[in-house]
Amino acid sequence: MLVSVLNGFAIGFLLFILAVGLSIVFGMMDVLNLAHGALFLGGAYLGATFAGSWGGFLAALGLAAVGGLAAGALLSLMTEPLRRRSHLDQALLTLGVAFVVAELLIIAFGDDPLSVSAPPALDGSVSVLGATYPAYRLVLIGVGAVLALAVYLVVERTRVGALVRATVADREMVATLGIDNRLVKAAVFAVGSLLAATAGVLGGPIYGARPGLDATVLILALVVVVIGGLGSVRGALVGALVIGQVDTLGRVLLPELASFVLFAALALVLVLRPRGLFGSPASVSTR
Amino acid sequence: MAVHPTFDRRRFLGLLGAASALPVVAACGSSIGGSTGAPATGGGGGTVKVGLVVPQSGVYAALGTDMQRGWELWLADNGQRFGDYTVETVIADEGETPQTGVPAVQKVLQNGGVDVVVGLVNSATALGVRDLLTESKKLLVVTNAGAEAVTSTSRTPYIWRTSFTNGQVAAAMGTHLAQSGFSEGVYAIAPDYAAGTEVITAFTKAFESGGGRVVGSAKTPFGTTSDYQPFLTGIQSSGARAAFCFYSGAEAINFVKQYAQFGLASTIPLYGSGFLTEGNVLPQQGDAALGVQTTLHYTDQLDNPANKAFVQAYTAKYGEAPSCFSVQTWDAANVLDRALASATGLDGDSLATALGTVGAINDSPRGAWTFENQTPRQNIYLRRVDNSGGALVNAVVQDLGPQSQPAA
Repeated sequence: MLVSVLNGFAIGFLLFILAVGLSIVFGMMDVLNLAHGALFLGGAYLGATFAGSWGGFLAALGLAAVGGLAAGALLSLMTEPLRRRSHLDQALLTLGVAFVVAELLIIAFGDDPLSVSAPPALDGSVSVLGATYPAYRLVLIGVGAVLALAVYLVVERTRVGALVRATVADREMVATLGIDNRLVKAAVFAVGSLLAATAGVLGGPIYGARPGLDATVLILALVVVVIGGLGSVRGALVGALVIGQVDTLGRVLLPELASFVLFAALALVLVLRPRGLFGSPASVSTR
Repeated sequence: MAVHPTFDRRRFLGLLGAASALPVVAACGSSIGGSTGAPATGGGGGTVKVGLVVPQSGVYAALGTDMQRGWELWLADNGQRFGDYTVETVIADEGETPQTGVPAVQKVLQNGGVDVVVGLVNSATALGVRDLLTESKKLLVVTNAGAEAVTSTSRTPYIWRTSFTNGQVAAAMGTHLAQSGFSEGVYAIAPDYAAGTEVITAFTKAFESGGGRVVGSAKTPFGTTSDYQPFLTGIQSSGARAAFCFYSGAEAINFVKQYAQFGLASTIPLYGSGFLTEGNVLPQQGDAALGVQTTLHYTDQLDNPANKAFVQAYTAKYGEAPSCFSVQTWDAANVLDRALASATGLDGDSLATALGTVGAINDSPRGAWTFENQTPRQNIYLRRVDNSGGALVNAVVQDLGPQSQPAA
């Protein structure tokens, strides 16, 4: 049971890193970025290519960060002409990007599933209160917690973060203060994409890299966003940790219902709290 | 929440999947043009046109490559001929699902004008083209799809199989484990889809009739499970002496690696259907796969002259070792060659009758086998992953003898 709780945290923090950008951009600009999973997969393939040594692993992280930043800015630019059109148009554009990227990744890396090895010294397993647990996942919990704390503090405690939160709450009002909210959107898009690609490298040793993984993680991220509520870092964090625990503990306790546990939790939240656990009523009512 | 994103995405995935098959196959059909009327009787030469329908895209593309290589190797070694017939091959992309596979078969039959269809990885596709072949009275040789129904409840004279059945491979392991000191308790785990269910059912039946007890079982969500920790914990707490599983592709890589990472490999030995460690997944699993034992009807390590020659020729030509998928398709060419020696025509009825009389296939790399109810009765081998000179291989531990398709 302890192993499952630990694992729930490892998956939960990974999901937070993946989903936080998606949540804020969606909450702020109504842009549903369906290419978010492709960014994760791109990171995972970078991990598969370079990982194996510490240098390679860190290089993959660095490349994923730079690549994610650039990809996010590009995506933001591409959705800009559609900002007055419906959600569906924007979703379609990013869906198209997701397909193109997935196909390019197959051309570049082949369609065989690849495994990603953890950096040396973390590749083994350690004993936690008598149970065997992969060392890499323990470290991932620590790294994930630090990253989550950093993102949380930036958004909730700094001037830049205040600007982001204000844009989520009422972007017209922010614009009247003389601030170009397109820049805010581009920046959030870029940083969110950076985090998604980084999550791909970090998640590589757990999930591997394969065609189709982008869709799997995208759905997980969307579940996190819906449960946590749009545009809320706190919501994304709580949503990710809840999903991490529900997905692991649910499968341990109810293996026959493994396919349904995740979506049952989603349905339950939607029935009880239609805006998610931390969704802001204001940002929803403007739609 | 004006948009329900997962719904939109799925619908578009489906549409795109269906649409993408059309241009590929249409291009195939038009490129080879007419020339459908081959002489009907043997002896005088002529052309037999074969539609090779294997995955060239999607998650099974690697299997499709192996299958195509097996087919081409046999033809290259035999002068591109089945007896007096020159073989003309039309290749179409099966894709992943029946939504792409069934139209691909339809196109090679209708536009390509082929006499025989060979291939098919996906069992749902093999079952889905049954009526198509019955109506057109053409022969299909299935070279992978392992669903029991293809040659049992849905059997038709027009569909033959040179691969295996899911239950055949699993039942051999069930019988073996019951006799190997694990009858106290085995945990069975497989993905939650048709083939997974067939494997678990056949394994459990054979294992229990040998006196074994299944202490627990789980079905993991198919295609979306990447983290097996919750299920591994279930295996540990079940008190099982051994675990039996059925995974392939990316799932096989993750399952085997995590089985070792969470410390199960050293306490609860892992057994499985051979696809767990077959082909391109084995190098990705790395040392985590060492010691895993599986059953299958083939391994490139088999010590018989036909296999040695086959492995040597295959490796020389393609630069990597063959898999069971290569052999299954190689054998399709092999049996068609034998059938055409006695067939009175190229229609499905004549070919089916001729296939019924080919007897023992004694020059196959997998060892001698025979058709029984249109699917192979063949030896199943117990294999263990060993390190042989720096490379991981499926070494033969034991020949479990000839096995039939299990009775339904």
